[in-house]
Amino acid sequence: MTREQYVKQLDLLKESVLSLGEMVELIFRDSMTSVINLDVKLAEKTLALEPEVDKLEEDIEASVFDLLALQQPMASDLRLVVSTLKITADLRRIVGLSVNIAKIPGRMEGGHVKPLIDTKKMADAAAFMLENSLKAFEAQDVELARAAARRDEEVDKLFYAVWVELIEMMAKDTSIISRATNLLFLIRYLERIADHCCNICESVVYLATAERVKLN
Amino acid sequence: MTEGIQNVSKPQIKVENLNLWYGEKQALKNVSMHIPRNSITALIGPSGCGKSTFIRCLNRMNDLINNCRIEGKVTIESNNIYGPDVDVVDLRKSVGMVFQKPNPFPMSIYDNVAYGPRIHGANRKDLDGIVEQALHSAAIWDEVSDRLKSPALSLSGGQQQRLCIARTLAVKPKIILFDEPTSALDPISTLRIEDLTMNLKKDYTIVIVTHNMQQAARISDYTGFFLMGELIEFGQTKQIFQNPREKSTEDYITGRFG
Repeated sequence: MTREQYVKQLDLLKESVLSLGEMVELIFRDSMTSVINLDVKLAEKTLALEPEVDKLEEDIEASVFDLLALQQPMASDLRLVVSTLKITADLRRIVGLSVNIAKIPGRMEGGHVKPLIDTKKMADAAAFMLENSLKAFEAQDVELARAAARRDEEVDKLFYAVWVELIEMMAKDTSIISRATNLLFLIRYLERIADHCCNICESVVYLATAERVKLN
Repeated sequence: MTEGIQNVSKPQIKVENLNLWYGEKQALKNVSMHIPRNSITALIGPSGCGKSTFIRCLNRMNDLINNCRIEGKVTIESNNIYGPDVDVVDLRKSVGMVFQKPNPFPMSIYDNVAYGPRIHGANRKDLDGIVEQALHSAAIWDEVSDRLKSPALSLSGGQQQRLCIARTLAVKPKIILFDEPTSALDPISTLRIEDLTMNLKKDYTIVIVTHNMQQAARISDYTGFFLMGELIEFGQTKQIFQNPREKSTEDYITGRFG
């Protein structure tokens, strides 16, 4: 095989995205645990990981620019490099939203206004989507990407149901508005995270087939 | 394999089941390709894959090679160019060719361009206009207009190549074949010639053989990939370089070959 160094660079790039993905999964999971248990310590630990993500994101971008400028990738190589850049941006947004989630425990004096049953379901679906979109990226598995993206519908339905419920609760009892608004933000963040997972799935389909699809 | 653009309405060049042998050795195997008018088609592939042999079939340059045998059909504007009543000189007038190494005649810049029109019987009084127009079209007029009587060989390599293009244009071809036209040129001259080909396609149909894949990607509308005498894949350049259908095409353009 010719171009061994180049192929190695591409492999490394893919591995970096998967490492970033693992870190993002951890941050998202811990941010959710911290908000469910209102665990401020865990939340702080999670927030402290953000600079590491930034560093990894910068490294990935630098590799992408180097590859584009110096190696002129073509065909599936080009699609890998381009989708890597897009997936990294989506992962970075998921971290941003998870950071917002991890900031909620510090603002929730007095505990949750309701048990977080549907919200947990949303988080589970989003976690499933994140995990499987990354697996699909690793294996270039279009079916898995599509299956992961399909869970977005469930997230959207739950978002709407919890939203209505919270508005009704606030209308009845104005003393909970501050805490309930935090929950409103929380479900909005979860809904956005699921959307970013759909974007990742779209990038996987493009990577594997060169087709540009809309999955949410 | 060529279904991508096989259905071009009224292709200008239509090649069907072309086979070619140099003695016992088969250099082209059942090649079919439809080339649309006013487009640039790039032919890529490793050395010895048949792309130059193929392009030379389009103006019967292979006729000059002993023990070369050709089967199949090449039609240009509905004329079978291998038909018995074809005048090869006329054919090569309408299907011009530019080669890898600039090859101006050892005469003045003016006479190089005027050479073709003269032997095809152009009027003396029309010659100045023809020469000027050809030099303009080949984007070299501004550099040579004040020294038309200077020897062509005093020009730089890139200028010589553009002069050769002007010489080709002077006999008003319909199709221009480029056989690795920039492989002996520096990067700036290369980009100039590339720009020139893109300007020329509004008036001509261009087929270019190139070893430079980025060049094929930059300038062509269609790309054909040859391997061991076969046309492996032919399609829109965008498709070939983003999502080739055949694995060997992918391996070649991503440099995985060998």
